[in-house]
Amino acid sequence: MKNFDEAKRVYESAEIPAELDSRVRAGMKEGARRARRVRTLRRSLGSAAACLAVLFAGLNLFPTFAAAAADVPVVGGFFQVLTVRSWERTGDGLVVHVDQPAVSAQGSGSEMPELSKKVNQEIRERVDARVAEGEKTVAEYKEAFLATGGTEDEWAEHDNKVTVTYDVESQTEDTVSFVLHTMISTSVGDQQDYYYNLDLKKDRELTLADLLGDDWVNVCNKSIKAQMAASEDPSVYFDASMGGFETVDETTGFYINAAGNPVVVFPRATVAIGAMGQVEFEITK
Amino acid sequence: MNKKEEKLTSYLLENQSRFYRLAYSYLGSREDALDAVQTAVCRALEKQRELKNEDAVATWFYRILVNICTDQLRRRKRVIFVPPEALDTGSYDDPAPDDSLYRQVNALPPEIQTVVKLRFYEELSLQEIAQVTGWNLNTVKTRLYGGLKKLRVSLEEQL
Repeated sequence: MKNFDEAKRVYESAEIPAELDSRVRAGMKEGARRARRVRTLRRSLGSAAACLAVLFAGLNLFPTFAAAAADVPVVGGFFQVLTVRSWERTGDGLVVHVDQPAVSAQGSGSEMPELSKKVNQEIRERVDARVAEGEKTVAEYKEAFLATGGTEDEWAEHDNKVTVTYDVESQTEDTVSFVLHTMISTSVGDQQDYYYNLDLKKDRELTLADLLGDDWVNVCNKSIKAQMAASEDPSVYFDASMGGFETVDETTGFYINAAGNPVVVFPRATVAIGAMGQVEFEITK
Repeated sequence: MNKKEEKLTSYLLENQSRFYRLAYSYLGSREDALDAVQTAVCRALEKQRELKNEDAVATWFYRILVNICTDQLRRRKRVIFVPPEALDTGSYDDPAPDDSLYRQVNALPPEIQTVVKLRFYEELSLQEIAQVTGWNLNTVKTRLYGGLKKLRVSLEEQL
């Protein structure tokens, strides 16, 4: 195979970019973070979910069951975020897994605040829309895959998923902060998260201004820029010329952590290289 | 970091240039190749639990990388419509070094490219290629000989 010696020489002469090493390290860091996240999630879901799953699976179907569930004493607050719909479907190269949350008022006779009704409605619509979008994406991907020489057997090896989950980040007597995660993963991932920070006593959504005062934009920007500059490898963040971080605004996603501080979240590849995944900055009050 | 993760990490760091070359040969663009390698190492760390046999780390990782590259190629096929006659006139993003056989390998269907590249560039055995691709040994052989036949044909046409 004399010809291949020459081809191999050409192959091996490809110049290695200087940034390869930092890109590999960034990729490994993100991967390790995701692996840990999956482990933590598994652990935390273990015990609590086992008890709750049975209890709340019937919520939608049986109003009396829902009323009974509402009498279960819950530490901290008169409302809670719980799973109202949990289902999984497997078939045709796609796994759909949904844990859909809703805000629920506690105690008998307490009226559901308007805000939580609105939020629950919105969550339901978002979940349905994302599942539909995921099914459509995967169907189109399959068609293209088969049309370009893929076989049904190879398709079956694909790991396509639509996953809807949520995390309650913090809860006090009056407020709750939770994040709805929706992920459509084919050979690439498409993650969209929705942030809910609710003050149920005042029946309104909390803003960064509520948490940080009138100067919230400056407070956030200063803190975020300082954290980027102080990070282990500041080059993972895009600078202004690459369309990097400039300022927070009303549309910036955030949740409230257990310490009561807002944590600002930027989607993948908006302010930092894709391999960093989502990036989060806690803004200390 | 546990022992297994340490081992995986050092394997990936030590062999990064090889991964880049392989990705570059599929994708022909520096940026796309960097993205592919980064995505692959990210996925490797994320899915490290699935690596049962640490001695098989190379074939396990090649599988991840090759899948990312060939998926990317298929996606491109779906969106880019370039008439063949336009291929010779325009300038390429990062032209591959000019060599006929190297180029012809890259023009093969993705499955066949994979077999040829792993065999002749990465010097994997047919058995190892079967592990990387998940095809049985016979399929690997068929694809390799089919590929060689195609290459010989197109080489002869050039003469």
